[in-house]
Amino acid sequence: MADYENFVQAELPRLLRYATMLTGEREQAADLVQDVLVKVYRRWSRISDADHPDRYVVRMVTNGYLSWRRSRAARVFATGDLPDEARPGDFATDHALREDMWQRLARLPRRQRAVVVLRYYEQAPDAEIADLLGCAQGTVRAHAHRALATLRDGLTIEQMAEAKES
Amino acid sequence: MDELTKVENLLKDTFAAHEHVAPDGDQVLADARERIQRRRAVLSRPLAVAAGVIVLTLAAVTVVVLNRPADGTQAAAPTGQAPPTTSASSGPAIPELHMPYSLDWLPPGDIDYLVHRINLGGTAEHPDTPIYGGEYMFNVTNKGQVLYVDVQHFGMSTVDDAAFKSGPGNPVTIKGLRGVESSISDGPGGYELYLTHPGGGTMYVNVSAKNGTTAPAQLLVDTGRRIGEHIRFPGNTSVTPLFGLGELPNGLKVCAFDLEKGGFDAPSASGTRHASTGYQLGTCTTQPTINVFTADSRDVGGTAGQPVLGHETRYVDENGYHKLFVLDAVNGQSIMIAGSVPVADLYDIGGRLILPN
Repeated sequence: MADYENFVQAELPRLLRYATMLTGEREQAADLVQDVLVKVYRRWSRISDADHPDRYVVRMVTNGYLSWRRSRAARVFATGDLPDEARPGDFATDHALREDMWQRLARLPRRQRAVVVLRYYEQAPDAEIADLLGCAQGTVRAHAHRALATLRDGLTIEQMAEAKES
Repeated sequence: MDELTKVENLLKDTFAAHEHVAPDGDQVLADARERIQRRRAVLSRPLAVAAGVIVLTLAAVTVVVLNRPADGTQAAAPTGQAPPTTSASSGPAIPELHMPYSLDWLPPGDIDYLVHRINLGGTAEHPDTPIYGGEYMFNVTNKGQVLYVDVQHFGMSTVDDAAFKSGPGNPVTIKGLRGVESSISDGPGGYELYLTHPGGGTMYVNVSAKNGTTAPAQLLVDTGRRIGEHIRFPGNTSVTPLFGLGELPNGLKVCAFDLEKGGFDAPSASGTRHASTGYQLGTCTTQPTINVFTADSRDVGGTAGQPVLGHETRYVDENGYHKLFVLDAVNGQSIMIAGSVPVADLYDIGGRLILPN
């Protein structure tokens, strides 16, 4: 199983960062990746024969996140209500703006969040996201569109500009 | 720079700024290794006993398989074999869907079902073995205590594949069937049980306290074990979908159905959670080819199509992946019929929808 060890050592940092972006929480990301590592170990002979074992494992992390048990998923959303309307004073710094966005991400349905993370963090093209999620590219675009609409809600160009210029 | 680009850039910045949240890789790897080692230890001790159980189980499987109806029969209702009860004024009734197993014991309290689903189709590697043979997910509220319960049949895994969120597993025997269980009352996972299913695969039972609360460990254990003791195959539990399907064309079958009561994701913009019904149609020996399910109103779009059952439609072609929306079909919700098939096939299925009166 030396191959397994080498593979995990090489891929683990990326998987953990990816899982963190999906779940929004360190503990959940650790649990999610830990589950996947155990499964990968058991199926290593098959996974190692795949053309792209790294993609296979990313898919496992993604599927694990999407089928996450509700008791954990619920924790993602327990981040408090969003403000009804963004207040300029809340966005005095880039840091505040990013923290606000982090909370907004936590409110997204899991599939939308997965699309956003794959698109804007992993920089994956829509075709690859569609393949990974097992849906049409149009569905990916629809999820992204809805997610962005939700994330933009209450933010204005001026507020973002203020934050960027401050 | 337009607003959308700004948001996209902000997203990238946000992700980059939170990379430090990622957990420690060494710790995660160590925990994973420990779980792998624990599992080896747990499974090696009762090996001799287990071998005997497996022989007996296989014998039992043979008898059971020969005497029970095939899985496809158990869940055959949606393919149109459901009782064609009709009345002059109301049209055909929506066929009930049959779960492949029943839960003969439920914890005391108010039961709120969230999910019923089955999948008859397998993977390309094992086309005849369902990925999951059925799932119940529900909440139980009793004297202010809320428990989350999830019961699933994993057709393709064995007890040896058990992976716990709640800590190391311990061997357990329930009604003569080998299992592995694990429990923690105040952490993730709650009580988890993997129990050998005589017909193949394993049953998984998970009982946990509502998020943010705790429950006595013994309550979780007792509840989970008792549910596991009283799972009955084949079951006689039926559930009523929001809409049904009549007899399907071209040898299509229902490979999976999924009834949810609003799901667990964030609510819609209006704050409501819609119940949903979905079917996957195909031959059930390869990936299902056509999805039929209640659509999120935000998904509905496209150009106007031919009416279906008196309802307006919208049609979308995404590079050969066709979607047909039957508008206002179920309690104000649309139904989406979609797949990489000729659009005429989608209309054909649309004409076989059984909608509520």
